[in-house]
Amino acid sequence: MTTEVGGGSRVASHLGRFGGLVPAALYFGLFFFVPFGLVICFSFWQDVNYTVVHHWTLENYHYFLGQPAYRSTMWATLWMSVAATGITLLIAFPFSYWLSRYVPSGLQKPLLVLVIVPFWTSYLLRMYSWLNILGTKGLINTFLEKLGIIDQPLTLLYSRWSVVVVLVYLYFPFAALTLYSSIDRFDWDQLLAAMDLGASPLKAIRKILVPQIRPGIITAIIFVFIPVLGEYLAPQIIGGTSTPMLGNVIDNFQKEALYARASSIALLIAAFVIIVLILFRKSLTAKEAYGA
Amino acid sequence: MSERERRFTRGDLLRGGAVGAAGLYLGTGGTALAARLADGSVTAETIAWLTWFDHFFPQQLAVTKKLTGISCHPKLAPSDSEIYTTIRTTGSQFDIAAADALWVSKMNKDGLTQSVDLSSIGASKQLYSAARHISIWKDGSNSMAFPNGWSTVQIYYNPKYVKTRPSSYDALLSPKYKKKIAYENEPESVLAIAGIATGAKIPFNQTLAEISRSKAWLKQLKPNILHMAEQNSENITLMKNGDAWIVLGNLGVDTRVRDAGGPLIKTVFPKEGQIGWFDGEQMVKKSTHKDAFVPFINATYAQTGWIAKNFIKNGRPMFNEKAYKILVNQGYKARLDAFHYNNPDLIFQAHLQGPAKNSQAITDAYNEVFGA
Repeated sequence: MTTEVGGGSRVASHLGRFGGLVPAALYFGLFFFVPFGLVICFSFWQDVNYTVVHHWTLENYHYFLGQPAYRSTMWATLWMSVAATGITLLIAFPFSYWLSRYVPSGLQKPLLVLVIVPFWTSYLLRMYSWLNILGTKGLINTFLEKLGIIDQPLTLLYSRWSVVVVLVYLYFPFAALTLYSSIDRFDWDQLLAAMDLGASPLKAIRKILVPQIRPGIITAIIFVFIPVLGEYLAPQIIGGTSTPMLGNVIDNFQKEALYARASSIALLIAAFVIIVLILFRKSLTAKEAYGA
Repeated sequence: MSERERRFTRGDLLRGGAVGAAGLYLGTGGTALAARLADGSVTAETIAWLTWFDHFFPQQLAVTKKLTGISCHPKLAPSDSEIYTTIRTTGSQFDIAAADALWVSKMNKDGLTQSVDLSSIGASKQLYSAARHISIWKDGSNSMAFPNGWSTVQIYYNPKYVKTRPSSYDALLSPKYKKKIAYENEPESVLAIAGIATGAKIPFNQTLAEISRSKAWLKQLKPNILHMAEQNSENITLMKNGDAWIVLGNLGVDTRVRDAGGPLIKTVFPKEGQIGWFDGEQMVKKSTHKDAFVPFINATYAQTGWIAKNFIKNGRPMFNEKAYKILVNQGYKARLDAFHYNNPDLIFQAHLQGPAKNSQAITDAYNEVFGA
């Protein structure tokens, strides 16, 4: 009798401790672990005659890692992701700094709304609008021709840099919002104190502000770098034949219903993303990571 | 609104389309269904249609619903291979599925779709005879699909920059055309064109040795490719602006460039032959609304006004001969001729789009060339 009561109370205690996790576990299980598990399985299966055959093999990985062509695509993807993330942060940081420090608080929110206004339109539409900006008869070329700076239109589209520019445009709001929310909590008196003690404004920002908003900077990097790594539409629409990213390779396999091939490359990107996340997490202290 | 669109008024559509459809529909057995709908003995159905964006207008589906009581949820299809895998894995989720040329035969032979008697669909009377008797879609006296539209893919060039007519695919390899050629990002079609250029027996279904030759040819071509477009409208802009001097595209690229205010574009049908496609709608074998196929297709494809409008808007020939006559009466003869609308036999001389035994090797080859 005593045992039963004890057992019952243990069950109740376990339910009390872990019961609250059930909705989250179900949500994650259904919408993350199950699909992710399927992608893992697919990556070890084979595509035969438009059918994914459940025959376990490493062939997809062997193929992908053994092709020199894809190694250059991997480097190009990494290069473009790093460039796009770096430039995005270089623009977003001064913007967020200016917004938080110099713009009256009543105007800050409307300006932030303006940052996210592009999200109200279709992603595809925003992408195609860049054809009208960078095209030979686009906004920039027309402007430069009218000013007499150029006689012949510049070839701005279908290059790696044009893809990077569009990626910066697409992901700027993610970085700006993240950095703004970090900078906005900063105590500006500390910056003034540093300058009172002889630090130049730049040194004060570097030594006082940047270390304190490090978690925000890392979050902004993650928010930009990771989605850019998987991008395929920007290089497809804005890029030429020398600018594909890994996302385009996956898209081409997907188009031809070669899901096993596509899954293996997707999983390699996912593995890389996980490594990046672990490295970033390790660079933060527990207090920085959890905001305790 | 452009000149060509202005002439095609709402009134024309109503006269040529919806009213015609209603007449044809009622004349071909719709009366009974309409009566049964009215007395409530038939429940209005909702079907799921896996198709391409340019196969219908929402207003067209609204008319179909009014006439038949059948609502439709169209889901846009990405490619033939994805349609094939989608229908195979979703069972009865879709009721009608579009597909191209030899893909239709494969889907039918693999038991995914079911043939129908075209004569039971009144709208088939509006089709060209060639479309009613497509040999690769024949299944006894039935047809594997209801034909919709078609096009061959040929070379278009801007004579201002391209002084020698590129009558062969090999002409495209000339260093003169560095970054001046555009096509669409379609691995199987690109490999098929390379296959024709290198003498593959069945360009859409190449052997491994043929794929290897096609890949080598594409490597030579790659420096000349400016862009592999996601949508063919991008290539129209590229030609209009003079960024691309040569485009491989569906029929009518020259007309579409001119419509966009671009320069004179000339057409070449390469001496080695061309790839081509024609598509149609199939009844999904596991559909739970098979009874809706005939009335739905009949009511939708008998709306000749919308079919004609479809040609004007989406720019490729349709198989509907009645729509041709309407368009001629509207003053579109020159445009129709430019698209070879009245010559549907042209498509049956092309290498037709279809599945490949070595599909993985084909996409591998494409990615190894254009994915790096």
